[in-house]
Amino acid sequence: MKKILIIPFLFLTTLLVAQSQSQDSTKTYKKRVLDKIEVDFLSSFYSQDGNNAAVTGGIGTEELTDLATDIVVSIPLNDDDVLTINAEVSAYTSASSSNLDPFDVSGASFGSPWIESTGDSQKDTWFNGNVSYSHSSDDRNKIWSANLNFANEYDYTSIGFGGSHTWLFNEKNTEIGVSGNVYLDTWSPRYPTELDSYLEADQDLNSGFFSGVDILDENGDIIDKDGTTVWSPLNTTLIDDKSRNTYSFSLSFSQILNKNAQVSFFLDIIQQDGWLASPLQRVYFGDRANYYIGNPESISNYTTSNNRDVFQLADDIERLPDSRFKTPLGMRFNYYINETFVARTYYRFYTDDWGITSHTAKIEIPIKISDKFTLYPSYRYYTQTAADYFAPFEENVSTQEFYTSDYDLSDFDANQYGFGIKYTDIFTKLHIWKLNLKSAELKYTHYDRSTGLASDIISLGFNYIFE
Amino acid sequence: MKMVVFINLIIYKLKKIKQMKKIFYVVIAAVFLTSCVAVKEYEKVNINDPDMVLSSRKSNKFETAFQAYRESAAGANGGKTGGGCGCN
Repeated sequence: MKKILIIPFLFLTTLLVAQSQSQDSTKTYKKRVLDKIEVDFLSSFYSQDGNNAAVTGGIGTEELTDLATDIVVSIPLNDDDVLTINAEVSAYTSASSSNLDPFDVSGASFGSPWIESTGDSQKDTWFNGNVSYSHSSDDRNKIWSANLNFANEYDYTSIGFGGSHTWLFNEKNTEIGVSGNVYLDTWSPRYPTELDSYLEADQDLNSGFFSGVDILDENGDIIDKDGTTVWSPLNTTLIDDKSRNTYSFSLSFSQILNKNAQVSFFLDIIQQDGWLASPLQRVYFGDRANYYIGNPESISNYTTSNNRDVFQLADDIERLPDSRFKTPLGMRFNYYINETFVARTYYRFYTDDWGITSHTAKIEIPIKISDKFTLYPSYRYYTQTAADYFAPFEENVSTQEFYTSDYDLSDFDANQYGFGIKYTDIFTKLHIWKLNLKSAELKYTHYDRSTGLASDIISLGFNYIFE
Repeated sequence: MKMVVFINLIIYKLKKIKQMKKIFYVVIAAVFLTSCVAVKEYEKVNINDPDMVLSSRKSNKFETAFQAYRESAAGANGGKTGGGCGCN
């Protein structure tokens, strides 16, 4: 307990020193925090593929594409205050989430985890809006800000708000920041079709969706729906709490070490509660009999991509604890090597009470090849241990309280390689209408995960000054 | 009342994370020792280079977002911490 008290003690002591030093600073010149309106356009195209889709219980195609656009407008309201408005739209097409309802493939009776379905869940649009307001003190040694956030997609709505305060002192060599954010999110849950339909039909396999549809056992034989050995999900209740709330508190500390080096540390404390599992994601148990819909001849190839026309009925959706406590600790160290090279490094240690521990390390070396062009080669390594509740397809057992086959919660490591190029024109000679181009950047990143998932992302960004 | 419970929960869980605490103390001690030296404003030409900024670059925004979906760890990088999306 004593050690715990050391952190706030050091923090408060530092703040008192900061207060005394800021009172001594002279007020000779007050520069505007932001001179003119700035507009940022950022777009990206993301593509991924893999063989461990969580919607189909840890096997199946993870093919997904996403096109996203983000517009950020920063408006100086006066010398001290800046209003920032951010709107982001992200539209995705996903083979795996299309298999929420795999039974509607055109031209075939039933789908499989390995082919894309054409249901409503195949695509979705995520919208996010954020407004933030910041105020800087006359001596620019204190900054506070507040923000409001709203996000929406077809099965998820989020309202968020937060605030932060930053103190600069020691001739602006040292910076301390605190911030807090709250997200009050709500699921509009969508479930795997067979589970939803089974409950809708009052657990009667002869009515509703299952009426007239043959259910096969592991041998490919049609079962007697009125018999004693029939398919039924483990649970007959799905989501009973639609909320998913996140409370985060962040502490940051930055320090200039010398004329060429500076470092910063970030500590986040995050508490989540509510329905933290995804209602879309199926689980299959190793200790329960398997049942299928589709072509009996494909059952023996079920876990291979040769299976195009048989689908295994889910045992349940994933179930995870209704609370999660996360603690990431990050560090950045940037070093100005010379006029051409800068080294940007980042490291993060992360742990949570679901049993996951991870390490992230990244290095980026900006290379100024001319006054206007900079290259950005980068490499990132990531590793994590599995959540206590993760097991692959058919390896969870029905006696567990919590279970998932989502490979995002599995044990893996990942390598990411990136390369970008940035054009900068401090005189903003190029312009469209009243928007004068300050910089433009194109970046490509390739990501490889040891589970077999691979992805690529291309980002294009423009920064304009509004005259 | 809920806030008190939340703070108690944080303290309780932080106590359990011994490895994190050790790292944090070392880091705080190291930074406080070095913070005695102040670089003057006129000496900050290199520090003020746009590539020296101590935050994730704007162009990494979408990259950070997809990492929050595909990886369990999030936060401590200016990106998502788990709220506002159905991500991990």
